[in-house]
Amino acid sequence: MGINVKRYILVRNLVFGWLTVVIFAGFLLNFPKINILEHTARNLYFHVPMWFTMMAAAFVSGYHSLKVLQTGDALRDIRALQAARVGTFFGLLGLTTGIIWSKFTWYVGTDVWWNFDPRQIMVSIQLLIYGGYFVLRSAFDEPKKRAKISAVFNLFAMTALPFLLYVIPRQMESLHPGAEGNPAFSAITHPVMRLVFYPAIIGFIGMFWVLYTQRVRVAWLKYRVTQESEM
Amino acid sequence: MKSTFLHLIQDVASSVQPDSTADNAVHTAYDSLWAGNGIPTQAPSGLEQVMLSDEKIFVVLAVVLIIWFGIILLIMRTDRHLKSVERSVEENIKFEKDDL
Repeated sequence: MGINVKRYILVRNLVFGWLTVVIFAGFLLNFPKINILEHTARNLYFHVPMWFTMMAAAFVSGYHSLKVLQTGDALRDIRALQAARVGTFFGLLGLTTGIIWSKFTWYVGTDVWWNFDPRQIMVSIQLLIYGGYFVLRSAFDEPKKRAKISAVFNLFAMTALPFLLYVIPRQMESLHPGAEGNPAFSAITHPVMRLVFYPAIIGFIGMFWVLYTQRVRVAWLKYRVTQESEM
Repeated sequence: MKSTFLHLIQDVASSVQPDSTADNAVHTAYDSLWAGNGIPTQAPSGLEQVMLSDEKIFVVLAVVLIIWFGIILLIMRTDRHLKSVERSVEENIKFEKDDL
């Protein structure tokens, strides 16, 4: 068990190139403009993948937590923590970009930055759950106990995420599409946007993998030197 | 200010318990009714005028820049951890004096 640094370098270079193309395409690809949205429809390529990435990170983190319970491997514990950290980071980016998008698109002239959109509330709860995970970890001095108990909590966090991010917000009136029972795209989202949207999801999940593996490498090195895995 | 807050609460309340008298048929995901419902609007301020110009392209730029600066911040934090590991490696491993 170790970290494949060669693969990391390869994927990192691929992701950097891929995302560069995605950002270019995101600004250059033309599509019919809609009232109110206008160019901000392009945020579909940047704001929405943040949430896909956060969900991917939660599954990666939960998978390694499950492995911690099965094997008690220290590297698995490090992977679970770092995936949760980077996933929360992408969640915060999604929240911030959402605030900026809505402020200058739907809340123009209202002094409103936060309008208690159901998805905003549920996502904040999810981020607080991950905050709880980090605080819980700091409550233990004994590494084995910390790894096991926080793994159980992390599995709970992973299970809560699809409900808080997708199931509950769809039952309520919201600025977000999907409230009408539409699974992913609203009927007025032009199909050509999928050309950039799907690569953007792949690119940002790749970006997550790069940042996460980078942190795992540092944390694993720290563990081998100091026997301390928190980072 | 106080009335804005009251309107917000009413908005949340009415979204949880749909008002049967309201015409929900006119609500779509992207129209501004949900946002503008009962909130007093004024003319766009200075910052908004900048963001709304050129068909709101600067909103997209702001979103991309937030992601970009966020990634920079995360990498810098990772670097700080790397620095502390490097320091403890130097404390733990005694290098023999190398003569060139």
